[in-house]
Amino acid sequence: MAAASFYVAQDDQGRHHVQLFGQWSLRAPSNDFAKLKKSLQPLFADTFTKWDLLAVEQLDAAGASTLLSGWGNKLDDNISLRPEHTALFNTLIGLAKPPTKKTECDWFAPFVGIGKGVLHILHHFIEFTRLLFSLLIEIAYLFRHPQDFPWREFSANVFKSGVNALPVTALLGFMIGVVMGYLMSKQLHTFGADIYIVNILGLSIIRELGPVLMAVLVAGRSGSAMTAQIGVMRVTDEIDALTTMGISRILRIVLPKVLGLTFVAPLLVLWTSGWTLAGGAFASNMELGISFRFFFDYLPLVVEPINLTLSLIKGLMFGFVVALVACHFGLRIKPNTESLSNSTTSSVVTAISGVILVNAGFAILTRGIGV
Amino acid sequence: MSKDFIQTRAGDNSPSQEIICDVQNVCTEFDDNIVHHNLNLKVKHGDITALVGRSGCGKTTLLRHIIGLTKPKSGNVLLFGENLHTMERVAQRRLMNRFGVLFQQGALFSALSVFDNIAFPLRELKQFDETIIYQLVMHKLALVELEPRDANLLPAEISGGMVKRVGLARALALEPELLVLDEPTAGLDPDRSHNFIDLVKQLKKSLGLTVLFVTHDMDTLASLAERVAVLEDKHIIADCPLRELAEIDHPFIINFFQSIRSRLERL
Ligand SMILES: Nc1ncnc2c1ncn2[C@@H]1O[C@H](COP(=O)(O)OP(=O)(O)OP(=O)(O)O)[C@@H](O)[C@H]1O
Ligand SMILES: [Mg+2]
Repeated sequence: MAAASFYVAQDDQGRHHVQLFGQWSLRAPSNDFAKLKKSLQPLFADTFTKWDLLAVEQLDAAGASTLLSGWGNKLDDNISLRPEHTALFNTLIGLAKPPTKKTECDWFAPFVGIGKGVLHILHHFIEFTRLLFSLLIEIAYLFRHPQDFPWREFSANVFKSGVNALPVTALLGFMIGVVMGYLMSKQLHTFGADIYIVNILGLSIIRELGPVLMAVLVAGRSGSAMTAQIGVMRVTDEIDALTTMGISRILRIVLPKVLGLTFVAPLLVLWTSGWTLAGGAFASNMELGISFRFFFDYLPLVVEPINLTLSLIKGLMFGFVVALVACHFGLRIKPNTESLSNSTTSSVVTAISGVILVNAGFAILTRGIGV
Repeated sequence: MSKDFIQTRAGDNSPSQEIICDVQNVCTEFDDNIVHHNLNLKVKHGDITALVGRSGCGKTTLLRHIIGLTKPKSGNVLLFGENLHTMERVAQRRLMNRFGVLFQQGALFSALSVFDNIAFPLRELKQFDETIIYQLVMHKLALVELEPRDANLLPAEISGGMVKRVGLARALALEPELLVLDEPTAGLDPDRSHNFIDLVKQLKKSLGLTVLFVTHDMDTLASLAERVAVLEDKHIIADCPLRELAEIDHPFIINFFQSIRSRLERL
């Protein structure tokens, strides 16, 4: 068999006779229908051209469709076909036509877009509130049926989002501490205010940086994992399977994640802040010669203990926000990969934004305390 | 039949000695679970071969070796006379366009609509404009008896049997020479599986098609398969026309043949 080819002859009236040969199908690896169509274009344009397909060895839907689109999607007397090919052409002609697209410009589209965006956010808000309330209802249920508490899932989540996060939070915290300590030592040293490095680092890290750093890391690490996990459970119908076993998905999936992260987040805050402070102490030791012993002895004297309490409360809130946002987006995932990736992205972005928002609100409420 | 048609049939028959798919001494194991041991299988041009065997005996695994998704631990798989794993990239891609695969679970792209799933391989060729692609997709949809309005649905929104049929339409999009089907009629109602069998037979007649399929459905087996390869005891214990199974003395085959004998008699 040979690749698709054609031969053009001209009769005495100047009409073209096109004879097609070979395999007009995708089977022949050397066929390129785009090129064939292009070289046949002038012949397609001439309505008097005669087409002879009697010598075609093989014709499939792709070849037939290419020819048909040149003939204006109809057969006429100028075209001679083998009987077994006619059926294929007729089937193709009888198929539904592509819907004609609306091309007119819609001037209101941007305004409609704004409205839709607002509705979308409102919808998220309603769903989020609904999730929050179902969670509270499940917690209330657990008070009456404590034996139903999902301990295994809870501890698995504590392990996954807490214990497994220890190395990365320690490393990043330490490095940020070193950088901050180094820069501040430089500045303070020019004023001869070396000793204040402890105040500045202590307050900023314990009160602000530690919790926020922890929240950002956890949102990226555990929040995305939670969203993706719930999403895949939806894609593979696992959530439906749970439901048919009479197990509440909020109780089994959302609650252990939220409580687990809320429980472990304050501990992670302590851990992260500790390592960041260590980094800061290390830098001040290097730059200003302040000993570790002195740094940590002096720290409780200049940073009021209430700051530590605030930091732990922040940890609780951030853990809660990150996990709840992650579950919210996870449960909204539609069973396809595109939605999975979109929701995971939104989950992390929203969680981090939420944490920063909560942090700002909290800072305003507690502005008179501990500073 | 016209003279030309007989000629094309003759043209199809002449390379009938050609071996499309050649599995040589394949061994596969997962950890300590030996799935294939010295397995040999040949599929000739124009054959419709059924691969049968107990559930979990390694049929899907064998198909995955054949289409080059996995590499056996030892042994060779030749497809159209070539080893997919040692080929240069462009040639490999070309070879891969010569076969179509229907996976056991459909394996549709979940983010794309039915239409886009079928159009995907056609668009990848970069030879057709959108009107032609539309017509071709509609043609494939009609072949597998789906309505044009199903084209806009997402894979998550169609029924299990429809997933199978869309998968088949996608496998057929590039007019492959070899069709590899993993349980094509599972999840289809009797009418549909009957039509499916007719479709494959008719495609074979009009385009010349080699088919290798796995099935547990005795009706599909009896009415579609020309040859049957039985996978048992980690290798192919029989590879012969369906009726010749009667002469083989092996407990699994005797058992197996009993259940298709009545169906064969009905044909
Ligand atoms: N990725 C894998 N890792 C480990 N074991 C596997 C893997 N894939 C398959 N197996 C094992 O190989 C064996 C054969 O599996 P395979 O899916 O090929 O069975 P099958 O013959 O297609 O069965 P069925 O008819 O039920 O579809 C099974 O025992 C399975 O557990
Ligand atoms: Mg299988």
